Formats: sequence, structure tokens, C-alpha cells
Amino acid sequence: MNIRLTIAAALLGLLATGAAPAADSAPETRELTVVSWGGAYTRSQIRGFVRRFERESGIEVEMIDYTGGIEEIRSQVRAWNIKWDVVDLELFDAVRGCEEELLVEIDPSSLPPAPDGTAAADDFLDGSLLPCAVGNIAAATVIAFDPEAVERAPQSLEDFFDVRRFPGYRGLRRTPKTNLEWALIADGVKPERVYSVLDTEKGVDRAFRMLDRIKPAIRWWDHGEEAVRLLETGQVAMTSAYNGRVDTANGNGASYEILWDNHVRFRDAWGVPKNGENIEAALDFVRFATSTESLAQQANFISYGPLRRSSLEDLPAELLARLPTSEDNLPRGFDTDAAWWSEHIQELQVRFERWIERPFQVPRDWPSR
Amino acid sequence: MNLRTFAIALLFFMLPGQAVGDDADIEALVAELEQVKGRLAELEQLRQRVRTLEARLEEANRSVPSESATAEGMEKRDVASTSSAPEPEPPAIDIGGALRFTTFANGSVKGQRGKSGLDLFRLSADGSIDNILLSAEYRFYPFMDTIHHGWLGYKFDDESQLQAGITRVPFGILPYASHNFWFGVPYYLGLSDDYDLGVKYVRPNGPWDLQLAFFKNSELSNSADLGRYSYDVVSAGTARNEETNQFNARVAYTFGAGTTCSHEVGVSGQWSELYNLDTEKRGDMWAAATHLDTRCGRWNFQLEAARYDHNPVNPAGIGANRIELGAFESLYDIAPTGTVGIANIAYNFPLSGDILNQLTCYNDYSVLYKDGGGDDSILNTTGCAIGIGPLFIYADLINANNMVFFGNGSLAEGGEDDWDTRLNLNVGYYW
Repeated sequence: MNIRLTIAAALLGLLATGAAPAADSAPETRELTVVSWGGAYTRSQIRGFVRRFERESGIEVEMIDYTGGIEEIRSQVRAWNIKWDVVDLELFDAVRGCEEELLVEIDPSSLPPAPDGTAAADDFLDGSLLPCAVGNIAAATVIAFDPEAVERAPQSLEDFFDVRRFPGYRGLRRTPKTNLEWALIADGVKPERVYSVLDTEKGVDRAFRMLDRIKPAIRWWDHGEEAVRLLETGQVAMTSAYNGRVDTANGNGASYEILWDNHVRFRDAWGVPKNGENIEAALDFVRFATSTESLAQQANFISYGPLRRSSLEDLPAELLARLPTSEDNLPRGFDTDAAWWSEHIQELQVRFERWIERPFQVPRDWPSR
Repeated sequence: MNLRTFAIALLFFMLPGQAVGDDADIEALVAELEQVKGRLAELEQLRQRVRTLEARLEEANRSVPSESATAEGMEKRDVASTSSAPEPEPPAIDIGGALRFTTFANGSVKGQRGKSGLDLFRLSADGSIDNILLSAEYRFYPFMDTIHHGWLGYKFDDESQLQAGITRVPFGILPYASHNFWFGVPYYLGLSDDYDLGVKYVRPNGPWDLQLAFFKNSELSNSADLGRYSYDVVSAGTARNEETNQFNARVAYTFGAGTTCSHEVGVSGQWSELYNLDTEKRGDMWAAATHLDTRCGRWNFQLEAARYDHNPVNPAGIGANRIELGAFESLYDIAPTGTVGIANIAYNFPLSGDILNQLTCYNDYSVLYKDGGGDDSILNTTGCAIGIGPLFIYADLINANNMVFFGNGSLAEGGEDDWDTRLNLNVGYYW
């Protein structure tokens, strides 16, 4: 057989087996890598909709934990080496990801409507749909403590910053977000003025000075599950934590209390990094994960509020009462300003890390002499 | 035009004129096509097999204890799997080191106003593998090289640990009863930052900290060897005594632990034999101390009072007041019995710029009152410790009265009541 026939045969083979890229669609996706926050939260997603998605689509989903940020996404997108197909982002990171054109645009009309036919754009709570991310849950950073492990239960955010009257170590997430807001509020700033105060250098200095007051007592955590572990192991008297994680721990036998005073509500959103090979399947996943049913199902496994109105309708009243958006809890907290953080996180993160590294007290361990 | 369209076009371009009427070629083509398809099917099977094995491997490697602990009641996952984003495993043992240079101006040496040069190069290893702990450091000075410390340990479930090897003697304020580079008087009496060979049990328990230790002898087996880091009774002089069978106990309690104002109070006791190589008899030595180490806001206050007594059995003609201590290739006498006082204060400055990581300024005062008479020995050091990235700098102004290494000063009975000044700058690169 001459060489032309050999090449032709090879081409035929490719066409016949479907191994060549299809004319109108991306290569068949067999596996998706979905990045989320780990622990009880990822479990709620797996049980809420990931398994169902796998069964219905035939696509395997590998869940990976991370601690937030868009650095890894930026690096993958710029290198055209996408390992993360779908990422559960904090809303302000989603905003940044959109602005930096790291995420695929998502048309709201492509999202499934509510069961009663209401279009997704009308069904989602305001501010939940970004040009390239779809909101999924509303959660809150709260203060949690074990009432049996403290001499006196804290009543307010100010008590968290008062290590003299309420001794013991404090757990905080290793990020300026929420911590700076809390520091200012504990120092007397009204929640509604927090971001305007933080807009000034003096305001940021003031927040760090307030954090200085508890710095020696801080134990840092990165993953949401670690905050609960700090309580479990008695390493802290109280800690910031995500309300859903605390609630899940209580469901598993713990008896931690949540201090809702000045809790900070935030939202997460699904985003799809650009330049991936599985973009269509990733978008299918996002559409599936943000359907009315999926969001409602997830809420059954972790007490975070679904961002679709139609998902809230079917939730039991007892669960609704435990959400940050419940009638009791809502007025006691405030929403994080995702747009503000998307602008300032980079510079404040640098300053925050430097602040952590610099000792507040005279250090015990210096380089040996 | 996408790849598939291109392939079809190419196929049509290649086949005409060749395919028509050429049955043998067509048959061969079909056979080859079948072969390719078969091969692809095999490859697909292999791919599935690899994926299955990868999934099993991942399952076996997954180690997130809290996940399983809190997953009570959760159905077994059928297909979904979770894993952490890949992060490089931190090395179990950290290799570190330092390269330091020093410069000083000495007020007591006429005609020589100062010296500069290499202070040391050192290498260290610290870390743990499971519950086994390791810490070691070896130092190279221009005039000697020696081990600083080196021990293996075991960490128990209650956070207590047992260390065996050359470890720091638990006595007084830890880790250092001073802030400056030159230390204070207790160091030159072998009562601070001393390292000996033995076993030590360390038991932190909430605000309590208990340390018990037994040391067979000082860090070097040859008690006459002066090439050592910490000061010990040595047999390199005329009295020829050596430390042996030393017991230490130190207990401390921290008030306000977990607050920005904590106060550690503690008591320490030490007893050891002093074996005389000439008389072959065992004398003894004891020391006791009480201390307060307060860290309140950015301030640090340290107070310590210590009492010690040496009772060697020296040969006839050598008085019992002859206690010879040695290290750094030098030897000097100290008063056999005395009382030591420390009063240190330090402040850690807030920093907002990009350059400095740490700026801590201090005044360290320490004094030895000698029972047998003679002028007190005093060290007062005012200075700052400055951290700039990997650089750490000590800038000290040392005022000494009747202190060894300063003019004719001495820690023994005698010496001279004369103040001497030294400006010392030590610049170290640490990694």
C-alpha cells in the first residue's frame, strides 16, 4: 500500500473512532475537576448535587480543596494549562476573576429557570449573577465558642476583642477580610461606615491597631474545617467560623454556640476558568449545580442559604431559622462588600501577611546568639 | 476549517484515481482500518484501567482525619472523590544556618579601638518525623568549632517530650535571660544558656511548664576541652574539677496566658557533683533561682534572682575558692558562692514600612554579689535587635564593671572597680 493510502487509512481510522475533534463540539469530557472549600461544605455539595450530576451526565467529578484566592486560576489560565475546570469562588474573587478576564462568561439565560418557569435572572437574589460567575450560597462568618469551655459566654463582638475580660486564645481566618471589619466595629465604628473608614490609610491603621490588641492570642486557620477543629481540641476559647460548619458540627454531636452579633454575610459563586478543554461540560456542571433543586438539596446538608428564591420555598422552617438570612439573624449582621474587597484585597493581603510576620510582643525566640 | 473537515477533504484528495478498481488496496485499507480500531479499543481499556488504579491510589493516600471523623452517617461516596489541591510537603527536617560578622570598639584596649571580622558560620537541623524530634547545631568560629546542641526526642500525646543528648539546661528565664548579644552575668557563671549532656523531660500543661533533667556531664566528654559554647566548670586549670551527675528541676506558671499581658513566674533548682581529678573526690554545687518574665503589650520585663554555691574538694594548696569556668578557648575564675540579680526591660516597636521586620530595643542589667568579698561584677547593655529580611543585627552598647573580658575585671573575688565600655555590632544572615 502506498503512502497516500496509509495516510488516508489513518485519517479514516480517526474519523471512524471519533477520536478526532468533533466538528461542532469540544472533545468528550469524562472527568471534571471541581475546586471547593473542603470539609462539611464540599460534602454538602457532593450530597446535594455532585453525585446526581455524575449519574445523569456520566462525567466523573473530582473535588479538590483550596483556601480561596485567584492566584492559581490566574497562573493556569495564563499558562493555558487548566487543571481546575470549575471553581467555587468567594464573590469578590469572582469579581476579580471577571475583571482580569480569567473566567468564562456565563449567559444568565442559559441557566435553568425555576420550576414555575421564572427565568433564572429573576429567580436569583440580587447581585448573585455576575457576567462570569453564578452565585450559589449565602453564608456568614460568625463567632463560635464552646459554652462549656469558657468561664463567661461572650455577648458581643467587642467581647471577642477583650482578652482581659474574656481570656483565652482566639481563632481567626488568615485573611484581612472580615478581620479588618470586625476590628473597626469592635473599636466603635458603625458597620455601615466600615468600608468608608477602611478607604483611608488611617482607617486601616486603626483596624490593625485593634488587631494588635489580640495578636498574641490569635491562632490562625485557613480551611473552614480547621476553625471547628480549634474548638474541638480546646485550642481556642472562641473562633471566627463559617456558620454552616458550626451547625454541621453541632449536628454531629457538638454543642457550640454561635454569636450572631455583627456576623459578616458573604456569597460564593461558581466560575469556570478560561482556556480549558472541558468548558462546555464545566458550564453544564454550573447550570446543574445552580438549579433550584440542587441549591435546595445542598442546604439540607449545610445551613447556608441558597441564592435562588425558588430554592428557599421548599426548605423547612427549622432550617430557614438557622440561616444567616433568617428573620432573627439578618439584622444582626451585615454584608461583606465584595466590590470593595476585589479592589483592595491584593494590597491589604500583603500588609496583613507582613503584620502577621512581625511580632507584636517582644519575641521569645530570637536567632540564637 | 476544523480538523475533521480538513481530514475529510484530505481523504477525498488522496483517494481518487487510486481507489477505483483497486480491490486489493481497498481490502488492505479496510483491514488496516480494523486494526487501528482494535488498537484504539485496547488503548481505551488501558486508559480505564489506569484511571481505576489512580483512583485507588488516591483513596489510599487521602489523609484528612477530620473528614472521616465528621462524616458520620454519610453515605459512602459512589463516584465523587475529593482531594486537596496539591501542595509541596514541607520537609520533615529543616536545615538552617547562619553566617555572622561582628565588629566592636573597645574602650579598654589602648591603641586598638576596635576589631571586625567573621563571628561564626553554623549549620543546624531541626524537625520531626512522626513523634521523633531532632535538633542539632554545629558552629564554626575562627578559633574553634564545636557543637552547640544536639538531641533526639520523643513527643508524647500530651505534648510533653523527652530529649536526650546535648540539651539546654532548664534554669531561670528561658530561653534567654537577656536580649542582647553579649548575654548577662548568669551566662558567664554557667547559669544561663548552658548546654550539657543528658536527658530532659519537658511537660507543658496549660499555664504550667515543668522541666526535669539529669545531665551526666557537660557537653564535651573531655572536661579540659575549652572549645565549647557554654560555660562549665572545667579541668583545664589548676583546680581540675568537672561537672557530673547534675539534676535540674524548673517549674513555671504563666498568669494571663492567651492574653496580651502574661506573667511567667518560676523557680529553678540545680544540684551537681564536682569531681576533682586530682583528689578523686566528689564535691558538689547547687544553684536556685526565681524569676518573673512579663510580656505586656509591647513591653517585656524580666527579673531573676539566683543563688549558687560551689564546694569542690581541691588538692592541698589550692583553695576551695578556686572555681574555674571555661568556654570559647578561654578560662577564668568565678567566686565560689554568690548571688545574681537580673533586671531587663525591652520594647518591641510597631513597624509599618517595608524594610524592617523587627525593631526591639532593650536595657539588660545583671550583677553578681560575691560572698567572699570583692567588687560586684556588673553588666549593663543598652541596645537594639533589628530584623531586616534574613538579616538580624544586634547593636549593643555594653557597660561593664569588674567583668571578665573587660579590662582587668573578674567574676572571682577581687578584680577592680572600674567601668569599661564596648560598642558591639553583630550582623548575621540566617536561613
